[in-house]
Amino acid sequence: MTGAATPGTAEPARAAVARAVPDPTALHAALDSLGYLADPGLTTALYLALRLPQPLLLEGEPGVGKTEAARALAGVLGSPLIRLQCYDGLDAAEALYEWNYPRQLLSIRLAESRGVPLAEADLFTDAFLLRRPVLAALTHPGPLPAVLLIDEIDRADDDFEAFLLEVLAEASVTIPELGTVRATVTPVVVLTSNRTRDLHDALKRRCLYHWIDYPDTERVVEIVRRRVPGTAPSLAADVAASVRRLRTLEVQKPPGIAESIDWVGALTLLGVERLDPDAADRTLGVLVKYREDVDLVRDRGLAWLVGRPEG
Amino acid sequence: MAAPPAGLPPFDRPAFAARFGAALHRAGVPVTPERSARFLDVLHLLPPVDPPTLYWAARLAFVTAREQIEPFDRVFAALFGGRADPADSRGAPGNPPLPGLEPGPGAPPAAAPAPPRRSGPRSPLPHGPLHRDTVGEAPGRPARTGAERLVGSAAEALAQQDFGTFGPGELAELDRLSADLAISVPLRRTRRREADPRGRHIDLRRSLRRSLRTGGETVRLARSHGRLRRRPLVLLCDVSGSMEPYTRVYVRFFSRLCARAGSGVAAEIFVFATRLTRLTPVLRHTSPDAALRRASRAAPDWSGGTLIGRALAEFTDRFGRRGMARGAVVVIFSDGWEGEDPSAVGRETARLSRLAHRVVWVNPRKAAPGYAPLAAGIAAALPHCDAFVSGHSLAAMADVFDAIAGRGPSAAARPARTPRARP
Repeated sequence: MTGAATPGTAEPARAAVARAVPDPTALHAALDSLGYLADPGLTTALYLALRLPQPLLLEGEPGVGKTEAARALAGVLGSPLIRLQCYDGLDAAEALYEWNYPRQLLSIRLAESRGVPLAEADLFTDAFLLRRPVLAALTHPGPLPAVLLIDEIDRADDDFEAFLLEVLAEASVTIPELGTVRATVTPVVVLTSNRTRDLHDALKRRCLYHWIDYPDTERVVEIVRRRVPGTAPSLAADVAASVRRLRTLEVQKPPGIAESIDWVGALTLLGVERLDPDAADRTLGVLVKYREDVDLVRDRGLAWLVGRPEG
Repeated sequence: MAAPPAGLPPFDRPAFAARFGAALHRAGVPVTPERSARFLDVLHLLPPVDPPTLYWAARLAFVTAREQIEPFDRVFAALFGGRADPADSRGAPGNPPLPGLEPGPGAPPAAAPAPPRRSGPRSPLPHGPLHRDTVGEAPGRPARTGAERLVGSAAEALAQQDFGTFGPGELAELDRLSADLAISVPLRRTRRREADPRGRHIDLRRSLRRSLRTGGETVRLARSHGRLRRRPLVLLCDVSGSMEPYTRVYVRFFSRLCARAGSGVAAEIFVFATRLTRLTPVLRHTSPDAALRRASRAAPDWSGGTLIGRALAEFTDRFGRRGMARGAVVVIFSDGWEGEDPSAVGRETARLSRLAHRVVWVNPRKAAPGYAPLAAGIAAALPHCDAFVSGHSLAAMADVFDAIAGRGPSAAARPARTPRARP
């Protein structure tokens, strides 16, 4: 049992979470009220991540709402969403903490000019500490936990994963100059991955895993209408159907929810209420972003795309 | 175990979790006792009041990768009659709920009778090899091609021998040889810094530390430099009929080289005939031969015609563009015989070359006297490759290594940049 009894999780925090999210239905309603539509699988995954508590690893095609899920979860808790975007070469100084060197140098000079003695310990205090995302999430005062989103973990090096593992397991970090910082309230951790490489089994072992599928057309309509206020219902349905049709073509980048939302946003801005080939023609760049894909769509016909074979 | 009970015995959750876990494990989902324990925790939070709830509770507790969803669904369906996917099963009549589940958290006895049921006709493991046994055994076939003759002979003879004639003896010798080889992949600079007195960047943190030693006066600046890392290596191996004996050697050879501790090379290995199969995760736990056998079982088109263009497209779409091919060295092992659309090979190689650092094409046929890249597929692909080598024997593998490392290729390895051979 590594996860369930994470050290540092104060009982009050756990009780507060239980009060805020008593069961999956309540969580679903809360997400819903924030404009995030989660299917039962994702709702269950988020619920367990909150209540076990355990880090949640989300995978799925780009644009199915992995990042958005973490944002909505933070919204439900009323806690800050602390995001760490991973990239090749990400290191502890950017993920955890860094000392504010310019400020330290300044303090040294200031102390010199005033003739005040300055000990080394005076320079390594809280005031000179820059909290990077992981430390910021750990030191979030509560009462409800912060949501720490570690986005695209597969982009970071594998040694960063090992480091992360330690933080997740202990809910604490050690700063040589300050000592060990224990989490006031263990943050809710959501990791996302695009599967560009396999994650360590050890990391996966500590996480709940959920694969987000591309939602069905009705759900897309519903999501789009929520995300773009003032959308004509007919337009949302047209766009969802067109995107579904486009996904059957062998395009390089099948459009996801994000593209659907952008497309509806663009069409709404142009005052379009029903999708027609002309409107699709003007806004195609919002939907497909490879020249080859654009060619493919045009070859297949814009009339086909918008579902009007006669054009 | 016991027959499905009429009177409901007390629901033994730990036993239920353990049996469920065992059934999944048999189906290939890597379940550990830790996972079963987590399933227990989940059951406490989410009493299995209906099949969808049980489905999600179990899937979230046990499944750790997308590939496991399919075997999980199979086991779940076998155990509980019908995949309880909420999308299609809510209240569906054809989806009988777990007997005894409805009354609430106290009830389900269903796991007890279940394992015998699943080990019956739908057992995913035993039925696999049955009708494909012959294909599955195929990699062992060339064993009779004079294997014993060469065992114990010098590595020299082995070095010139065509991979296509390798038997178990040569393969074992190859394993011994590959223990002494090291593969070198080009480097790239990362954003991570390391101390370097002649580095380009000033390392403020260490500079300040030093200045404290000299009374707050910065005497010497500490410098750092971007760290160098090896580029990832991606191997795409054609396993269609004629390439298959070579692929067997390549997969074995490279998986050993890269798996060796301290090789510092992250390699991804794929095989393709008409579709693409990723071998990397399988190779971590299985021997290369067994992995290839398993891949052949999963791909019914094994040893059939080759759709190189489509396989390359699938790689780029599913893995390459998301990052696997970015900045990587991509090596394609194929004779370039495209079964469908040769122009697709050119198009897809071009796409790949825009993503990758280098694209190396290895074609064992190149060694044949008088070879010219006339196969339409390879003719279309060559303009987009950085190197074109034969790699048909151990000696020829030296060229492959050079091509991967991007070292000044020997004249023979120069790619036909001008597609003069295009028919």
